[in-house]
This record gives sequence, structure tokens and C-alpha cells, in this order.
Amino acid sequence: MNTINPLINYFVLQGVPLETIILILTLPIIATVIAFFRQVFGVKAFGIYTPLIITLAFLAMGVNGVKYGVVIFISVIFVGMVMRYILKKFRLLYLPRVAITLSVVAFFILAILILGGSLHRTGLASVSIFPLLIMIAIVEKFVAAQIDKGNRTAFLLAVETLVISLVGYYIASWDILVSIIVAYPWLVVFILPINFVLGKWTGLRFSEYFRFREILKKSD
Amino acid sequence: MKSTLVKFIKNRKKILGMNARNFTYVRPNNLKKAIWVADNKIISKRILRKNGIPVPKLIAKISSHEELENFDWEMLPSGFALKPNSGLGGEGILVIYGRKKNRSDAWVKADRSVVTVEDLKNHIRNILDGNFSSAGAPDMAFFEERMQLLKLFKPYVYKGIPDIRIIVYNKVPVMAMLRLPTRASGGKANLQQGAVGVGIDLATGITTSAVQGKSKIIEYAPDTRMLLSGIVIPFWKEMLELAVKAQEISGLGFLGADIAIDKERGPVFLEINARAGLSIQIANLEGLKERLERVSGLKIKSIQRGVRVGMNLFGGGVEEEVEEISGKRVIGSVEKIKLIGRKGKEVEAEAKIDTGAGWSSMDDEIAKSLGFEKTVEEYEKLNVDYYEIKNLSKKERWNMVKNVPYIDSTVIIHSSHGTTYRPMVKVSFIMDKRKVLTKITIIDRTELKYPVIIGKRNLGGFLIDVNKV
Repeated sequence: MNTINPLINYFVLQGVPLETIILILTLPIIATVIAFFRQVFGVKAFGIYTPLIITLAFLAMGVNGVKYGVVIFISVIFVGMVMRYILKKFRLLYLPRVAITLSVVAFFILAILILGGSLHRTGLASVSIFPLLIMIAIVEKFVAAQIDKGNRTAFLLAVETLVISLVGYYIASWDILVSIIVAYPWLVVFILPINFVLGKWTGLRFSEYFRFREILKKSD
Repeated sequence: MKSTLVKFIKNRKKILGMNARNFTYVRPNNLKKAIWVADNKIISKRILRKNGIPVPKLIAKISSHEELENFDWEMLPSGFALKPNSGLGGEGILVIYGRKKNRSDAWVKADRSVVTVEDLKNHIRNILDGNFSSAGAPDMAFFEERMQLLKLFKPYVYKGIPDIRIIVYNKVPVMAMLRLPTRASGGKANLQQGAVGVGIDLATGITTSAVQGKSKIIEYAPDTRMLLSGIVIPFWKEMLELAVKAQEISGLGFLGADIAIDKERGPVFLEINARAGLSIQIANLEGLKERLERVSGLKIKSIQRGVRVGMNLFGGGVEEEVEEISGKRVIGSVEKIKLIGRKGKEVEAEAKIDTGAGWSSMDDEIAKSLGFEKTVEEYEKLNVDYYEIKNLSKKERWNMVKNVPYIDSTVIIHSSHGTTYRPMVKVSFIMDKRKVLTKITIIDRTELKYPVIIGKRNLGGFLIDVNKV
């Protein structure tokens, strides 16, 4: 860290950990990135909450942990898809169905941790527990999307969520950004006008250029 | 390459994207209360019915688990549709085609699979728990009359009932498509689920291009291999009027109307949508934004007027396609033409298209303006009467007139006014952008409505649409 803004310094002196301050101040930036991806690129993901919380989970896992985070995310989605296939014929109601899927996901993750341990991949087992639990819980979002929009769309949304979360992770753990936030914390306020513009922007999304390509090609 | 880019930039502005739909059209035009009504199928259908719009008959509704346990299953007819009250995108709809033989507690679906009372109960529990409603809010289930497939559509669908989606904005129908259920969509007419959307020419109600799912352009129906363009939708104008009327009633400024055609009842309103999907643009290969912008701000006083504006502004796709396929121009029964005579002299005139005439004719005054003054004068001086010359040989007749200036040939014309012997001169004319080089007879047409008629010999490159004006 080069320079520290007096305000941040004051916060630290009051006993707030620097880590926490940085994480809280990057939150608006990640949220804006997600909004930007939705409005301009047309990458939907599971709303704003899920990619945000997964980004934070990645951050909590640290530089070495993020690859495990990705593995766990993919496992969760994989189990979610298999479970839909298995549970389909039982015609269960929503919440019990989610509970079953969530349990199987939990067992599966536990199995991965044990397997990792026996293979002496200690990094996996040393991943802190809360990010892991967050990952497991997102299976509800996935099941809800399966019911609401079908398997294919749910899978696509999961992939988009993973991509956005990774982008969010790399932005938030970017050293230059972190030192800028520490030096000039008030810059975060510029998030507001950016979102005002995004909120009034009515242009075509990137994905829509692809979706409507046949009309774009057409001559009149 | 450059022209592709130009097209791209030009077309880009015509397309309605999700951001603009939500921000510019849905939000300002569709008030919360109206959206709430549209999302509630039982209430919106009741309101439509009270205003004289035909809707499917409601058989029964179930709004709690208690009602479900006490429900009298015997009262259900042999065929019906079971729907969630606030379902999205056609999810959670179950269509029953008939009772299972010799059983009072079981029915069959279109794919012949058996559905028991227990299955129905389970499905309804899922509906009540909000599994098909937005945000998972608790919901109601209802049974309604099942639509019967129109014979016309039979060859195009695998199972299920097609419907017609019409987008109405500012009381003007702006775009429409026919939605055909497919095997992939499980008999549902929703594009997200893999149904086919076929664009419709608004003026004629004839189908044009088609899309399956979100963006796959197709020409033939996926399950039955039938050509999708050129289907003439029955009750077309009536349906446009129903859609505009529904917009007035619903209070939705930007509305997607779904109308099915029942074998016996004709057009029946299925539902109104406050957030119409955007794929209709791909089905029509046309942008919606451009059309909405043309319509916005117009003062439309009546339903009929709105329908007429929509038909006039957004029709014509079929005609263009006919011209492209046949290589012929589509013309009306009266066309403005430009005649070109001697030394490039030009005259514009209204011509009657007359398939009963062999040769084309023009009034002698027009002939004079085209540089044939001498021809007309000299020929008049000869004062040839058909009855005097009719026994002469062709050569003898020609010898009589061959000294008339610029005369090309002569012809005997039998018409309702008697038989005449007329001179012909070489001219060309331009009709609907196509140039025709020909011979035209000269005759006094001052008593007649049109100074020029175009006969069969000059109509080879044209198709006549008697309705075109």
C-alpha cells in the first residue's frame, strides 16, 4: 500500500479491519459491473445477488482458493442438473425438492473435500467454510431457474453467473484498484452517475446484435 | 462489405431491444394496475368477456388446498385445459383431450399418456404453491374450455393449438405473428419453449417468414415439413379489431394480444400480455422500434381507424415477396403510367388495366402530345369506315393508309362500341417502374373515363391485384 487516505486511516483507528473496509467499498463496484453486464452486454446471470455473493466467496477463498471455488461451483451445478433428472419422476413439491437437491450437493462437496484430502490436495480442505456454504446454497437459485425457464436456460444462466463472478473477482482483487480505493475512497461515489446512465440507456444489448442478426443483415 | 455495414447501421435503429422495450414502452404506457390485471388470467378474461370479447369458458377454479380436497372431479368435461392463474411463458399448462375409456378418474393428453385424478391434484398443488408464478408467489389454478383445432392449421402443428400474437400500440396493430406449437415445445405456443413464430403481413393476413425458438430462421414446419409462408389467416380484420379493443379495455398502452381460432367459435381471446416478447421481430424479419415510432403520437379516434392505419402502414410484405418470386410487378386495376412518344416526348396518364382488350389504346389527344399530330390529322382526313373496307384485302387496306406519317400498322378492333379500323404507332410506356416498348392504337376516347387502356399484349410482366389502389 502506498498512500492511505486519512478517512480510511480514521476507520482503521476506530478498529475496523482494513480488509473489511476494502471489501465493503468494492461492493458497489462489483454491483455496477454486474449491472453493466446485464444492460450493455445482455449477460443475465441469476440477478445481482447471486453473482455478487459468489464474487465475495471467491475473494474470501483467496488467490489460491479461487480455482477450488470454480470447481465447487461447477460441481454444484452438475449435481443440480443430475438431481432434476432423477427427481423428475417423483413429482415433488418445490421446497422438499430443493432440500433434497441441497443435501445431495452438500454430500457431494464433502466427498470432494475428503477425496482432495486423501490425494494430499490440502488447499481444497483449507478453504474456509462460509464461502463453501454460500456456494452450496446457490443451488436453490439454479433449481428455481430450471423450473421457471427450463434446463437449458438455467445452465446458460449458471455459466453467465460464473463468468460475471470471475470478472468481479479479478476486478476486486486487482492491486491497482485496491490501492486507488485506499488512497481515494470518495471515487466510489462515481458509481452513482454511471448507474444513472445505465438505468436510462435504451440501446441494443450486445447479445441482441447476435439475436437479431437476421434482421440486421436484411436489406430493404 | 461496406454495404453490409451500412445495412447493419441502418437496421440497428429499427430493432426494439429489451432495454428500450422496458424503459420506453412498457414502463410509461403500462401502469402497475393494468399490468396486475393482465398478469391475472381469471380477472383479465372476466373483464374482456364483460366487454363483449369472446374468451374461453371458465369451468372451475381452485384457490386453496382445501378447495382441492373437496373438488368434484366428476363435473369436469372430457376435454379441458388446466392453467396456473399467473403463469409465465406458458409454463404449467396441462391440456386434456378426452376421458380414458371405461374410467371416471382418468383422462388422456394429446400424446395419449394417461392422467389420473392423483396426477391432476399433484399438478394443482404445484400451481397453488407458486411453482409456475413469478417470484414463486402462491397462485390459483383454473380449468377452462379447450380450444378445438381449426382444419386449416392441422397440417402445420404436431399437437396443441396455434394462436396469433398481435402487438398493439396507441390503438394501432403494429406487428403480428402466428405461433405454431411443435414437438420441441411440447404442444405449447411459446417461442422460448421451441414453438414456431410465423410473421404475418398486416394488410392481408398472409404469413411471410418464420422463426423457430429464439432465433432460428426456418421455411418449413419442423414436424410436418409444410411451407410456412403464404398461409391465409381467417378472420384477419376481426382479430385486429379484437386486439385493439382489448387494448382500450385493458388500459395497457403497449399490449401483446394472444388470440386463438376455435373450430366452432371463431376467434377467441386467450390472454393479454403487458410485456410482449421481442422474437416477433425475427418472425417478421422487421424491426418493431421503427414501427412503434411511426405510430406514436398519432391521434386514433376509433378502433376501425386504428386497424386501418396499421394495415396501411405495415402491409405490403406479401406483395414484395410475390414480386420477388414471380419476377413480375403487382399492379392495381388502374395505374399511373408515363408514355414516351416521338423525340422523347412524355405524357403522364391514368391507364385502365383491361385484360379483356388485346391491344393497348390511347386517346387521340394524347397521341398528339406524344408527337403524332400529323398521324392523327392525316388519318382523320382519310375517314376510313370499317364497313366500307371490310371486304378489301389486307394489302389493299394498307395501301390506303401507308402514307400517313409515322404509322406503324393498322388493326381491326371489335369492342362494345362497335368495330373500328385503327392506326397504330410505336411508343413505349413506364408502368410501376417497368418499361414496355410496344405499338398502341389511336382512337377518340374523350367519352371514356380513362384516356388509356393497357391490354393483354402488354401485361405479360405484371400481376393484377384488383384490390390494390
